[in-house]
Amino acid sequence: MGALRKALSWEVKLWGRVLRPLLSCQGRTGGTRGRTCSSRQPHPALAGLLSATGQVSHWTEVFEKRGIPEARESSEYIVAHVLGAKTFQSLKPVLWTQPLTPWQLQRIQELCSHRLQRMPVQYILGEWDFQGLNLKMAPPVFIPRPETEELVEWVLEEVAQRPCAAGAQGGPLILEVGCGSGAIALSLLSQLLESRVIAVDREEAAICLTHENAQRLQLQDRIWIVPLDVTLEGSWTHLLPWGPVDLVVSNPPYVFHQDMEQLAPEILSYEDAAALDGGKEGMDLITHILSLAPRLLKDSGSIFLEVDPRHPELVSSWLQSRPGLSLSLVAVRRDFCGRPRFLHIRRSGP
Amino acid sequence: MSTSGLLHLPAPLTRICTVPRGLWLREKLPLLSPGAAVTAVPTAGKREWPPLPPLDENELREQFVKGHGPGGQATNKTSNCVVLKHVPSGIVVKCHQTRSVDQNRKLARRILQEKVDVFYHGENSLVYREKQEAERRKQERKRRAKETLEKKKLLKALWESSKAP
Repeated sequence: MGALRKALSWEVKLWGRVLRPLLSCQGRTGGTRGRTCSSRQPHPALAGLLSATGQVSHWTEVFEKRGIPEARESSEYIVAHVLGAKTFQSLKPVLWTQPLTPWQLQRIQELCSHRLQRMPVQYILGEWDFQGLNLKMAPPVFIPRPETEELVEWVLEEVAQRPCAAGAQGGPLILEVGCGSGAIALSLLSQLLESRVIAVDREEAAICLTHENAQRLQLQDRIWIVPLDVTLEGSWTHLLPWGPVDLVVSNPPYVFHQDMEQLAPEILSYEDAAALDGGKEGMDLITHILSLAPRLLKDSGSIFLEVDPRHPELVSSWLQSRPGLSLSLVAVRRDFCGRPRFLHIRRSGP
Repeated sequence: MSTSGLLHLPAPLTRICTVPRGLWLREKLPLLSPGAAVTAVPTAGKREWPPLPPLDENELREQFVKGHGPGGQATNKTSNCVVLKHVPSGIVVKCHQTRSVDQNRKLARRILQEKVDVFYHGENSLVYREKQEAERRKQERKRRAKETLEKKKLLKALWESSKAP
């Protein structure tokens, strides 16, 4: 870590040398004293470096030297973000080669120094996209993974195929366990205009962030965000007032405990371990949700879960050993990498 | 330390079909944050030409960067660039326009569809014909503007001459 700090300060010093003369020129009204940089053309190599593409190349190289994963992607996202775009490729091409302002350069350097500390890009930018929605991101609340977009797609398909016997208020009524940043809840709400969601999480930070994102997206009218730990005895009874739900959706912590220490520093140092660690076989939260679900679901209501690729079999055997739950695994769906990732479990009968 | 590998996916995208120009954009865009950089793909107006010829998924090879290991919660990847190749023509499209792999896959297909159309149909492709149509309308507007200017000049000249003592 000492070497990293030493190396980091070298980078900061370099940028100080570049930025100081540029920054000190800002206030001048075309004076003749001292070095006036405004009248002098920058050295061609420096000019390239001070453009968006130059910055991306430079920081990519810095990240690669320090062994930062996704070196190019990280610098592209950071530079694009400072220029007001979501991706580098979506920037107007003319912006790629124009010189950046001192403020922009400084901002890029600040954000890149976080990346040198292995902070995930989503936390650095403070926002990320999920299913076309832009959500605020803040450590240590779990960052939505791209696979989970497919979970939402599946739920939407199923809802379209089986319109629920909606009550007076329309539907479906959905319970999300472990809402995190609100990604799943809010993307369902935004695409199912009659739906309502009860979103629960045991972490205060997640409750706050879901709240904030709901307001950002003006979806707060159809979501109830409830601090709740479903693993606590009897806590589920707090959900009874809402009545039985049509769907239970969750991306519960499902990492096998023994795999936790192998996770990348981005994850281990910044994300809440409790949002990841599923216990011995990654099944702790999954089994809790499945145990509670029959008491909260309507007849023939459904549960949709994201899981580890090893779970479909484990869940299947677990359900078979608990016939009293009246739950059956009806389908397993693969993610875009071909791994079995999503489960559809249905409640049958009272 | 390289943690990325390329996954060659035959990609039976059952949910992704080639829809008429512009239609798919409306499915996903409603809640982009203000100021988001959106690709300027023209939306469907009155469609005068037959739609773009569809792509056959069996003729495509798709790659997107994916880490090793179980994926899902255990990884946090932001690289979602999609590389799509149309094997018969050899055309390759690389798309990293959005932050969503799914969106990039759809966009890549859209772009590839247009390029393949141009490749096989040249001047008869939809892209070219729309360009020609746009050019024709532009020339038409210019002509009308010129006519209007001439009329104004004539009117002015008449008015001037009527004032003369």
